[in-house]
Amino acid sequence: MSGLSWPSGVSGPSGPGGPSGPKGPRLRLQQLRLHLRPRLRTRGATPSLRGGEPSGPPRVGRSLLPLALSLAVAYAALAGGLAYWQVVQAQALTADPLNPLSLAAARDAPRGTIYDVNGVVLARNVRGPNGERLREYDYPYAAPVIGYSSATFGTAALERTYDGQLTGLVSLNPGDELLRKFRGQPYDPADLHLSLDINLERAAVDLLGDQKGAIVAIEPATGRVLALVSSPTYNPNRIVDPQGGRDYMASLQSGDDSPLLDRATQGLYVPGSVFKIVTSIAGLGSGAINPQTTYPDQPGELQTGFLVDGFRIHDFPRTVQTDHPLDYAEALEVSSNIWFAHAGLDTGAQNMQDWAARLGFGERIPFDLPTSPSQLTSGGGPLDGFQDRVELANAAYGQGEVLVSPLQMALVAATIANHGTLMRPSLVDYLTSSDGSVTRLEPQTWTQVCSSETALTIGDAMQQAVEGQYAVASAAKVPGVPTAGKSGTAQVGPGLAPHSWFIGYAPADAPRIVVAVIVEGGGLGSQRAVPMGGRLMSAYLGVAR
Amino acid sequence: MTQALHRAGIRPHMRWRELRLLIVVAVCLMVGWISLESFREGQIGIGDATLLTIYIAAIGIIHLAFVVTGRRMDQILFPTAALLAGISLLVMDRLPQDTVTQTIAGVELGLAPLQLVWLILGFTVLAAIAIFVRSDGWLRRYKYTWAAAGIALLLLVFVFGSVIGGARLTLHIGPFSGQPSELLKVILVVFLAGYLAENRALLATGSTRVGTFTVPPLPYLLPMFAMWGIALSIVIVQRDLGAALLYFLVFLGLLYVATRRAAYVVFGIVLFLVGGAALYVLFTHVQERINIWIDPFSDPQGAGYQIIRALYAYGRGGILGTGLGAGLPSVGDAPSIPLMHTDFVFAAIAEELGMLGALAVLGLYLVIAERGFRIAAAAADDFRALLATGLTLVIVVQAAIIAGGNLRVLPLTGVTLPFVSYGGSSLLVNGAVIGLLLALSDRGVEPPPPGVRPNAVVRAAQRARAVGGRIEEALS
Repeated sequence: MSGLSWPSGVSGPSGPGGPSGPKGPRLRLQQLRLHLRPRLRTRGATPSLRGGEPSGPPRVGRSLLPLALSLAVAYAALAGGLAYWQVVQAQALTADPLNPLSLAAARDAPRGTIYDVNGVVLARNVRGPNGERLREYDYPYAAPVIGYSSATFGTAALERTYDGQLTGLVSLNPGDELLRKFRGQPYDPADLHLSLDINLERAAVDLLGDQKGAIVAIEPATGRVLALVSSPTYNPNRIVDPQGGRDYMASLQSGDDSPLLDRATQGLYVPGSVFKIVTSIAGLGSGAINPQTTYPDQPGELQTGFLVDGFRIHDFPRTVQTDHPLDYAEALEVSSNIWFAHAGLDTGAQNMQDWAARLGFGERIPFDLPTSPSQLTSGGGPLDGFQDRVELANAAYGQGEVLVSPLQMALVAATIANHGTLMRPSLVDYLTSSDGSVTRLEPQTWTQVCSSETALTIGDAMQQAVEGQYAVASAAKVPGVPTAGKSGTAQVGPGLAPHSWFIGYAPADAPRIVVAVIVEGGGLGSQRAVPMGGRLMSAYLGVAR
Repeated sequence: MTQALHRAGIRPHMRWRELRLLIVVAVCLMVGWISLESFREGQIGIGDATLLTIYIAAIGIIHLAFVVTGRRMDQILFPTAALLAGISLLVMDRLPQDTVTQTIAGVELGLAPLQLVWLILGFTVLAAIAIFVRSDGWLRRYKYTWAAAGIALLLLVFVFGSVIGGARLTLHIGPFSGQPSELLKVILVVFLAGYLAENRALLATGSTRVGTFTVPPLPYLLPMFAMWGIALSIVIVQRDLGAALLYFLVFLGLLYVATRRAAYVVFGIVLFLVGGAALYVLFTHVQERINIWIDPFSDPQGAGYQIIRALYAYGRGGILGTGLGAGLPSVGDAPSIPLMHTDFVFAAIAEELGMLGALAVLGLYLVIAERGFRIAAAAADDFRALLATGLTLVIVVQAAIIAGGNLRVLPLTGVTLPFVSYGGSSLLVNGAVIGLLLALSDRGVEPPPPGVRPNAVVRAAQRARAVGGRIEEALS
């Protein structure tokens, strides 16, 4: 067999036997055509025609079909991969902020403008000293919301989330995507119109001043964010500066007060007494407590402390409302830790977990900015995640292992203000493309947390906590407007000044604004954060104080 | 003239089908070129079309050579390869030209001219083999010589190969450098075709009982284990996962075709998985490849950078693509995908020609598969059938491996996309592979008039064959 010449018996350089001469190759050719060519298709083959070959295993040709089929399957998988990336995932990939296309687009095309709710320009395009496109931010203190778009450092905050739309890489009209290549200008940048009110933002920034902390203001019925402040923050104009950008970024990163961190959405703090609203939702919502619930031992425990498995829980010392067992509203008004520790233990670990989860604890809040998940407990303990009853009792009034973001606490208050329905927070009202078409982002319900009766009960108690005779949070009162709220003083460790907290809303009967304020190490809630919350709500409602 | 041709056993034979297809190829490439140049200039134009003109002239000349020499070979394979290579030329012309530069005869050539040089050399090899190889004896008879040469080549790379990009693939000899793994794949196919053709009867039907299992005669499975060992050692020493995968898959494919025993394939895959698992545990470079495949975003600026950039390219391309020239070859000074001209050329095509263009390229490889299998099915004996199958697999499986790696369907490995990736070794060897397939498909020239004396070339070949036979005897 070895050294077989080409089958047709070509003359000249054929097999080792020299010229094969005229052996009637025409005939053999016909045979080949007859029985060899269709072999791929017909499995039956025709071995009888293959005269002269030794019998043995089936002809090689017949095994080719399964091989061809497996190749076809492999190539079908490749085609599937192509379709997945180029059709299914195409838009997500294009809008990915790490995508260098956005840098190219930044070079080649104007970026969309960002406006506040009143049409004030928050981010616009300018030409740098060498003619390069630069972003300019006229209100740098809005950096935690707007972020930056830099050739060197990429994008952050809204500039990052909506990068695809701002550069015009992602078209507002999905059908345009296909025809993009036929357009002269391949980019279709969209303008962003925010719910943010830059005047309110400014007011909140001024309230915090140079104190570390965060403020979030939300319209409860829609989830639209009205102001979102993190202090200290950075100056985005200096980051996008082609000359000094790198040095500035290095100094930001080396500083110990984390100016690049958006405290409002990613800062996690001990909440202290503002968390009692979460305990209220869990207790009242599950039916474990009701507005008339009292604890007979509670007045006595003012002196001795409430002993839970060897740990004593104390109230902040007070001279009022010490003579009788408090009901729910009275307990919230004077912010009794002992009452809420009882309530938390009655509610139980499982209920606390379930109801906190309804409010968004344990997951990243779906939002236009990156968020950190808030937690009720660090988890892993035997008592439905809690280590023991002591941790549960402490968590019930906002200590223990509870950690929350200011945005999360604003959403807690917004839930009460919106009759138990939690709206998804959002920053963008609508987008407009260059051809004038408008894409509106409608408000979305995130979860139905509790019944409107429960929300009403808690809301009344929160109003009493601001307006009542013994109210701790009275400094939040908006003159002439019914106001609801809750103060918090979060103990963060021995020798450290507590965080000062306030959450609340106004008008209490028809809420238009919810605020959450935290001042890091600000001391008593009632003295620092509460009046700031009051002033901010007053400013928004147009009430002079 | 005609007389002289006849004396040399040559009778011109028109190849209409090939001509028609080549005209289609040329038109496609011209349209592509106009599209590319128009985008560059911002208006309809053809720019400097020297490269394309040379290329189209070259494939025309090769077609003419086939016609004049009267080879009655397959008429579809060459146009298919010519279209793939033409697409390669367009893509290379469109990438930054300073990606690769080399000075040849005092002229500094950039990426596209160099690729054109290699393409023409590769097609010259293709044509030379297709036209002049008239007998498979030199492949069939000396299978152990080929195997020995292959192993020698492998050892040479193991010892002298230089490490580029973490893989020991490139062999430098004087001013020349090349990747012998490309050549090795052909040598391997030749050896396997020879070995399996000789022993397939035994492998397919023979059996030995081991306990309750019926297994084939063990000594004949030795090459299987040898293959496995070679593949593993390539991964370990050369860090060339792609070549190892290619060799092993081609081997399994041939083993199945030769024996029709699916059990071999299952057993081979089990062996491969066991070996792969062991390699994963033992070697960090294997772990890194696999981990990056599973989650490239775990290290977006480091190991996952390349594949993530490729994914972005798919996103940019979409269904219709950005159009030639309108993609994003570089960001600032850095290419948007590292090694876009070699490992990631498929992603570049998918970006600029879109999903439809990339599907068309995959389709071209399936055309090669169809033609190759047809040649195998029509082959006169087992050796030729297995050889044709193996040569086809070498191209089609390799294309699938790198396209799969580009698409994150498989872990990324650094093999070339045949005829499309930049690179001399690859183009020369793949040219040789298609050339051999064409030679295998040859139904001979028109029969010559009787009594023509073999010319000097033929007599020399006969003498050489006698010498080779003695070497082979010594080896086996």
